[in-house]
Amino acid sequence: MQNSESLKTKFGLGKVKAMLANLTFGRSIHYRNNVDRAWRYVISIGGIGVIVFVMLIMFFLMYVVVPLFAPATVSEKASYAIPGPADSPTLFYELDEYKETGIRVSQSGVVTGFNVQTGKVLFSAKLNFSGASITSFTQIEDSERLMAFGLSNGQVQIIKFGYTLTYPNDKRLVSVHLTYPFGKEGLEVSNSAIQHLAVRLDESELTLVMQDARSNSILVKKFEKTDSFMSDDVSLELSAEGSIEAPNNIKWLRLGGQGKNLYLITASGKTFFYNIANTEHIEPVQTVQLTNAAKNERITSVKFLLGSFSLMIGTNQGRVIQWFPVRGSDNLSRLQEIRHFDANSAIEGLNIEHNRKGFVSIDADQNFTLFYSTSERKMATVPLDSEANLIELSPRSDGALVEQKNGQIIFFDIENEYPEVSFYSLWDKVWYEGYDKPSYVWQSSSASADYEPKFSMVPLTFGTLKAALYSMLFAIPIAILAAIYTAFFMNKQSRAYIKPIIELIEALPTVILGFLAGLWLAPYMEAHLSGFFAIFFILPLGILLVGFGFSKLPDRLKLWVPMGARSLLMIPVVLFLGWLAMVLNNPLQEIFFHGDMRHWLTASAGIDFDQRNAMVIGFAMGFALIPTIFSVAEDALYNVPAYLVNGSLALGASGWQTIVGVVLPTASPGIFSAIMLGFGRGVGETMIVLMASGNTPLMDANLFEGMRTLAANLAVEMGEAELYSTHYRVLFLSGLLLFIFTFIFNSIAEVVRERMRKRYGSL
Amino acid sequence: MNLEDENIAIEVKDWALFYGKKKALNGISMSLPEKKVTAFIGPSGCGKSTLLRCFNRMNDLIDSVSVTGDMTLYGDDMYAKEMDVSLLRRRVGMVFQKPNPFPKSIYENVCYGLRLQGIRDKAMLDKEVQWALKGAGLWEEVKDRLDENALGMSGGQQQRLCIARAIAIRPEVLLLDEPTSALDPISTLAIEELIFELKKEFTILIVTHNMQQAARVSDYTAFMYMGDLIEYSDTDGLFTAPQQKRTEDYISGRYG
Repeated sequence: MQNSESLKTKFGLGKVKAMLANLTFGRSIHYRNNVDRAWRYVISIGGIGVIVFVMLIMFFLMYVVVPLFAPATVSEKASYAIPGPADSPTLFYELDEYKETGIRVSQSGVVTGFNVQTGKVLFSAKLNFSGASITSFTQIEDSERLMAFGLSNGQVQIIKFGYTLTYPNDKRLVSVHLTYPFGKEGLEVSNSAIQHLAVRLDESELTLVMQDARSNSILVKKFEKTDSFMSDDVSLELSAEGSIEAPNNIKWLRLGGQGKNLYLITASGKTFFYNIANTEHIEPVQTVQLTNAAKNERITSVKFLLGSFSLMIGTNQGRVIQWFPVRGSDNLSRLQEIRHFDANSAIEGLNIEHNRKGFVSIDADQNFTLFYSTSERKMATVPLDSEANLIELSPRSDGALVEQKNGQIIFFDIENEYPEVSFYSLWDKVWYEGYDKPSYVWQSSSASADYEPKFSMVPLTFGTLKAALYSMLFAIPIAILAAIYTAFFMNKQSRAYIKPIIELIEALPTVILGFLAGLWLAPYMEAHLSGFFAIFFILPLGILLVGFGFSKLPDRLKLWVPMGARSLLMIPVVLFLGWLAMVLNNPLQEIFFHGDMRHWLTASAGIDFDQRNAMVIGFAMGFALIPTIFSVAEDALYNVPAYLVNGSLALGASGWQTIVGVVLPTASPGIFSAIMLGFGRGVGETMIVLMASGNTPLMDANLFEGMRTLAANLAVEMGEAELYSTHYRVLFLSGLLLFIFTFIFNSIAEVVRERMRKRYGSL
Repeated sequence: MNLEDENIAIEVKDWALFYGKKKALNGISMSLPEKKVTAFIGPSGCGKSTLLRCFNRMNDLIDSVSVTGDMTLYGDDMYAKEMDVSLLRRRVGMVFQKPNPFPKSIYENVCYGLRLQGIRDKAMLDKEVQWALKGAGLWEEVKDRLDENALGMSGGQQQRLCIARAIAIRPEVLLLDEPTSALDPISTLAIEELIFELKKEFTILIVTHNMQQAARVSDYTAFMYMGDLIEYSDTDGLFTAPQQKRTEDYISGRYG
């Protein structure tokens, strides 16, 4: 009593009591409740805000990605009567890239220019072949609109159909003009009508393949281009020729593959493939049936896809079959069926997109159908009023002109921006042109215009996982063992500064790590490969030896080193062992690898070696992951209650038995989180892989080859992707993929952690 | 005090313990009889728990602790250089104040010590687990849920599980460090009854704050104060006719 009395006076407790008794609690409680409520709202808004922002990012990514998978939309724009002479069938149409002016060339040689949108005839001209008529024609160069006509008098005439843009009176006017790049006089190649014709033009040479009406042979003629000294004219001089006996019933004659591959195709599907690289000695390569002969499937139309590599074969059974030459094991290319597309009814005509690997078919059911080859997609099927004669796509594939048998032309607007990608082309093996088998390839762009972009997510996903796994392989043992040591064996004072120092490494900009890894570590490792492998043995063994030796020292010497500084003793030991491994590099190479391990790997072991490889990434990114894993795992281990440790020790367990039997299981949720966090970081890490992985999108688990990760790919290609192009949207898709990856990994981690926590929760 | 009729399990001679420079135990000498319950009582900080932890060398875990004196278990020097700590702890088991079952199944908890001894034979383990759980009076309650997590048991059951875990490896001495202080009265009673049963097999040393408990369960009682062993005699004698004034003061409630 006496005591509490004196306390009251000393601290004025009596006064406080009086104050508390007199307070008008009403107002103060009201105020406190308001503050409480306000904070509750602020915190809820913050929390919901975070969720909303994450969702927004997700939605934005989806918003950019979704159009990739949308079908094409086709709308009828105009309908008018066929311009020009109605009595003569159309040979072909040509459209300009603004969908403004078109040309119709008829069998009779009449060129009619017309307005594509209205059908109004702009001009008319007759091709002058000095009395001869057109017996065959072929397109030489798609983008140049270069056409070759085979004539009844045995001549071949080459004409370029050009558009010129003029602005008389500030009005835009598109007009057509014809030019004759090899002179107005045709090439005399035969003395009878040319029935079938194929032409290939390159820098220095013009190759003509034809069959005339009289002779029973296929003629191959090569002309050398010579520039005239006097003018801009180019003249042609016959440089080589050859011939082969023509098989019966040839209906199509096609020249592909840089003018080397000659295909002679019959309506029944039987096809003869010759190599005409050497005209003196034309080699038969293959005789092949392009259609299903058992079902009596016949060819109705043949077109090359853009690039003159893939043959698209339309059949009377509603199939379009893609064939292209594939190099076999004997290094010889043979035609190979790649894939086929199903239209609803017999194909009556095919045409191709002029800027990518799409094509269009017209069929007996009065439809036309847009397809895309690489992604195997059917983009749209559009009904027509009547059966169609011909279809022509505009140069930008955004319009289609259909000539119907009822004498009407219908012009359609097409919106078909992203046909190149499908779920299949992103995730499955695709047989790309020029490849010998279906494969996963990422190759988004090239200098060539008729290039087939290859958007497979698989190599990038593979690379991402490869980089993450190799670096985890390096990081997990070191980080977890370090965490165990720090939490259990290190004395408390050392722990107090070792832990923050390791966590500081996390703040190191990864660009510096990447820079060091790419420019210093990679070449150094290449030169000291054996040494680096020796580290894996020398370091643990050496450390054990030193530790053992230290424990055998007399106590008097041991006490010289304070407990807290003993782990510091390891620094010079580790440095020395690392140096030793590097010094041993050359002797080791001499003993095991005939003097050069890198050379031995490629030459004797047959393992490909890149300087910037998964091993460099393993070291560099592993180094970046260590602090993340270490920090979380160490906390988990350190927080295992002491009474569990004591309980185990009291049962006669050794320190190590206690760690394995009690501490690790109890800390396992935390260690699991640590590993998942590290993995998440490894998947998303950009700068290190960007700078040190070589960025080669390979599908190979080889330790000595590089990889390209999703994140690095985004960093490399986002700058060069055209806004809203397929490439751009596919990159966003890979971003979305990364997002989903991390989402899935974190969700799995959270679920597992929650279950483990429930198990160990009442500790 | 007359211990002539008893076999002596642990012999302590001039035992002193220092935390750094601070002396915590002051030259204690005593003989602890076999298969009896010896209780250590005294006010907080008197060193009774410290002394108990010396019997299985749990104090070794604290860096700053140093000891002098002799301590033998059936004649074996417990602090000899060649004495293996793990082996000593197998012979001297311990149960702590707060129940500390491992986050494993009931079965695995009891097995833990046996597995450490390298016993892998399933039938043998089953038999031992059953024996230990019966010994701890827990078998009837848990025999159908041996695979359940031990953390799902009540506090009293957990403590009896810890006792089962400790006796499974057949120690010679069992140290109980305030085993009931975290338990409710009914669980406490169960443990006290258990102690009575266990002393048939084991030498039991118990530290307790609860003098009634010491009076109820122990055969011998040691009263400690400020690191000194003040009085050590048979329990009846100590509680009914204490020889020292400080003992008298303590048991009549003037400290603590």
